[in-house]
Amino acid sequence: MHFFRSEEHLRNWAGFDAEKEGGIISLSDLVKLTSIDHFRKRLEPDYISRYLGVGEVMKRLQQIGKTDPYWLP
Amino acid sequence: MNEPSLADRTFHIIMRRMVETGQAPHFTEIAADLGVSMEEGRQALHALIGIGLGGWLYPGTDLIVSMAPFHNLPNQYRITIDGQQKWFAQCAFESPAVCWLFPGKTIHLEAPCLDCGEPIRVDFKDGEVLNSDPDGLIGHVSVPLRKWQENVTFT
Repeated sequence: MHFFRSEEHLRNWAGFDAEKEGGIISLSDLVKLTSIDHFRKRLEPDYISRYLGVGEVMKRLQQIGKTDPYWLP
Repeated sequence: MNEPSLADRTFHIIMRRMVETGQAPHFTEIAADLGVSMEEGRQALHALIGIGLGGWLYPGTDLIVSMAPFHNLPNQYRITIDGQQKWFAQCAFESPAVCWLFPGKTIHLEAPCLDCGEPIRVDFKDGEVLNSDPDGLIGHVSVPLRKWQENVTFT
């Protein structure tokens, strides 16, 4: 994933593919997504055993409205 | 808390080292911290990578390239904390997650826009955005989620 100064900049980018515009995410949604334990608990001694699963990630994606096929496993 | 597994302990050693120094340890250092032989340390590193977490080695080597949320090779996602720029985020996606490894600290991210090269700057602290320049910046992932594991390096 990359950051762009705006959606206009993304669309101007030489690497932009209109079929992949579903991959756009706002900074505020990205912060919400990375606020779950999967991302927060990486200094816990049992992180791999307890927090690596993606179930929580999928739940948060739904909560922020990322329900289209682009964001589904 | 569960009794940490070997993968837990290996990951913890790597994460602690990257927080402290901005650099990933070599497998010999992982082995020493685990209290195992050098070869067992090397195997522990490869086993951890094999789990499928957001981390990888340079192909054909035992060298850590990336371990989310950090990148061990310099890239454009520069992280500055307390005036020291010694960390790199794995990518834009993981950059906000760096703040959870530095509680109470302001995480300053600076990266160029791939379209125009002008800087993008964001300050994160404890899961909040303190400042962003420009205001309307966006993230974009060019790989659908179902294909992330096919080429995690590109993703």
